[in-house]
Amino acid sequence: MKVLRSRGPEIFDIELEKDLLAKNRNLAKENKKRFDRSDILAIDIMGSIGSGKTSLIKAILRKLRMGTKVAVIAGDLTTTIDAERIETEGARVIQVNTGKECHLDANLVRLAVGEMKLDGIKVLFIENVGNLICPGEFPLGTHKRLVVTSVTEGPYMIVKHPYIFREADVIVLNKIDLAKAMKVNPSQLERDAHRINPQVPFIRANALKGVGVPKIIDALGLKP
Amino acid sequence: MIRGSPSLSPPGRGESEGRDDIEMHEFSIADEIVKNVLETAKKNRGKKVVSILLEIGELTHLNREQVSFWIKELFRDSVAEGAKVKVKTIKARIQCKDCGYKAGMGPNQEDSFRYLIPASCPRCNSLQIKIEKGRECILRKIQVVR
Repeated sequence: MKVLRSRGPEIFDIELEKDLLAKNRNLAKENKKRFDRSDILAIDIMGSIGSGKTSLIKAILRKLRMGTKVAVIAGDLTTTIDAERIETEGARVIQVNTGKECHLDANLVRLAVGEMKLDGIKVLFIENVGNLICPGEFPLGTHKRLVVTSVTEGPYMIVKHPYIFREADVIVLNKIDLAKAMKVNPSQLERDAHRINPQVPFIRANALKGVGVPKIIDALGLKP
Repeated sequence: MIRGSPSLSPPGRGESEGRDDIEMHEFSIADEIVKNVLETAKKNRGKKVVSILLEIGELTHLNREQVSFWIKELFRDSVAEGAKVKVKTIKARIQCKDCGYKAGMGPNQEDSFRYLIPASCPRCNSLQIKIEKGRECILRKIQVVR
């Protein structure tokens, strides 16, 4: 901080260099170091409201059969519904209620990790708040970022939200069984995704039935 | 259970004014900026904040009008009430790892992605680009009366 010349008798200019988004990015780096120290693979699960984030986490857990070696941080505005749903799969779950915020940030994840027993944990899923806009701006320090979108959101979800899809390491198109009924062309969505993020694995899935889940596990570098 | 940090509540403002249903990241950023402004003013024995200068990158998902609206709103009933909020835009700057291009976004990026995040080099179309500038939200200057 630099306090500059006075203007007139009593006005002072205080020069700062505070990047408020950088603050989150730095905390995210700290989180990543923390995960690396404990040899934990951390995965951020993002997607719109109702795209199937919780169902997908449940499906992955069921397939992985890693039991208590998996932990989940479930972000939600006010309820514990998702945490309770995931707990039935045997994973360690901590609920983070963001209250007014539309996204998790690195600091909330840091606090959650501080409250959690990480001994024996190999994989940590962080379920972000349902939103395709803000979470893209707030990295959490995870190793992988997965974005779930679903055919019921219509044909324009990816072109409308290029920012978050460009940041994704894996894109999942969920509820694929409903594509025809929704008159949505999955191949078009795949082209949209690859236009923004050419190398990204684009996986068609039906989380409720477990369709596509082995491919997702593979793309995330998880071994069942 | 972890709860998000409560937002800044300037003295004299009740919960009744309907802030509980605010869910947008302009609000959380504004909240963070206001905290920083008030702390800095206090540290520098500022009796009143006259103006603040922000710099927001054009590739962020921050709407300038919304950010300054919430800042002014959160300044109410504090030493910064009525302070001018100036916002400068930081132009995007791309560096291409393949051809060495180092400048802003090109005219060939005038599509819907242009305003969000460019995916390729405007000169050689390579996808190996690095965004050097345009993703910041900087609190650059605070003017106070001592």
